[in-house]
Amino acid sequence: MNFFTTELGAMLVVIFVGFLPNEVWRVLGVLFGRRIDADSVWMQWVQAVATALLAAVVARLLLVPSGALVTLPLWLRAGAVASGIAGFLIGRRSVLAGVLVAETVLVVGAWWLGVSP
Amino acid sequence: MNAFPDSHPQDPIRPARWFARGMRGAVSTPGLVLVATFIGFGGLLHDLGFPIFAGILSTLLVWALPAQVILVGGLAAGASLPALAVAVCLSGVRLLPMVVSLMPLMRGPRPRLLSELVCAHFVAVTMWAEGFRLLPKVAPEGRPSYAAGLGFGLTALSMAGTAIGFFLTGALPGPLAVALLLLTPISFAILLVRNARRPVDWLAIGLGTAISPLVANSPGGLDLFWAGVGGGTLAFFIARLLPERRA
Repeated sequence: MNFFTTELGAMLVVIFVGFLPNEVWRVLGVLFGRRIDADSVWMQWVQAVATALLAAVVARLLLVPSGALVTLPLWLRAGAVASGIAGFLIGRRSVLAGVLVAETVLVVGAWWLGVSP
Repeated sequence: MNAFPDSHPQDPIRPARWFARGMRGAVSTPGLVLVATFIGFGGLLHDLGFPIFAGILSTLLVWALPAQVILVGGLAAGASLPALAVAVCLSGVRLLPMVVSLMPLMRGPRPRLLSELVCAHFVAVTMWAEGFRLLPKVAPEGRPSYAAGLGFGLTALSMAGTAIGFFLTGALPGPLAVALLLLTPISFAILLVRNARRPVDWLAIGLGTAISPLVANSPGGLDLFWAGVGGGTLAFFIARLLPERRA
């Protein structure tokens, strides 16, 4: 973190490493949308990789947390997310229900442990 | 809330009006949940020491929270820029089928490439779900402007959320600060479960999660790359070996 801690450097990184590699898929969707077969073997593989990547992002956010989350034990961080998923599934697949359950478990757990981050 | 006042067919509504109506459509429960997750992202930016205006720019330009988290998290972990670009690119794949499926509703009767590209830029999970809910109620000639307004409204709210989270997180008492930071992982986890339908999806979720701690300290910050490509490829092949099940 040196070049990226300046606004200009970080903006260049956002454009070239964030915006362009990500936007490719939207542009492809517009240009070739009618010709791309979403069920082709290649697209299935790419979808599986994207799903695993997102799961790994969640795992890393919980395993190697940043800021105030560090003060809470791993089992509480993981337990909060697990109960949020359960809340989502039980609460008629409502995203709001899942988020609220997870947050409640986390905050009550932190209070019960007496952790004040 | 989403009622459209009667419009006379002889009196065509100008695109700006459709755009404004789209922006109004952004203020809804899914829109507010989205803003909350961007408040969480703003908190993450603050804790990683990422500059705020570049962070807000990433909300406007990247407009896909997983890619944004991979980018800023990877930079903080010291990942190389090419590896990050690959990880960001792979994470964006899910946008392609979303654009393809929503485009017929956003295109309108007289398609123009530029307006299609603008509408496509705004496609992300919330826009996709809200587009399917709201666009069918909009007259076809107003759809491109309405979709752009809806997307811009969601983006503008999320940019505000990013800034609020960044400046709020230092000032919040402990329990609220942790609650803010949990918003990103919990919303991604729910997103994964919501989109998982076939066995390959569940395998990819399980393997991506399981491989992540094993590769956590990969040299060059390639851990996400290995967990994603390794876990996804493994899930893909295991699913192919499973007996074919017709749902």
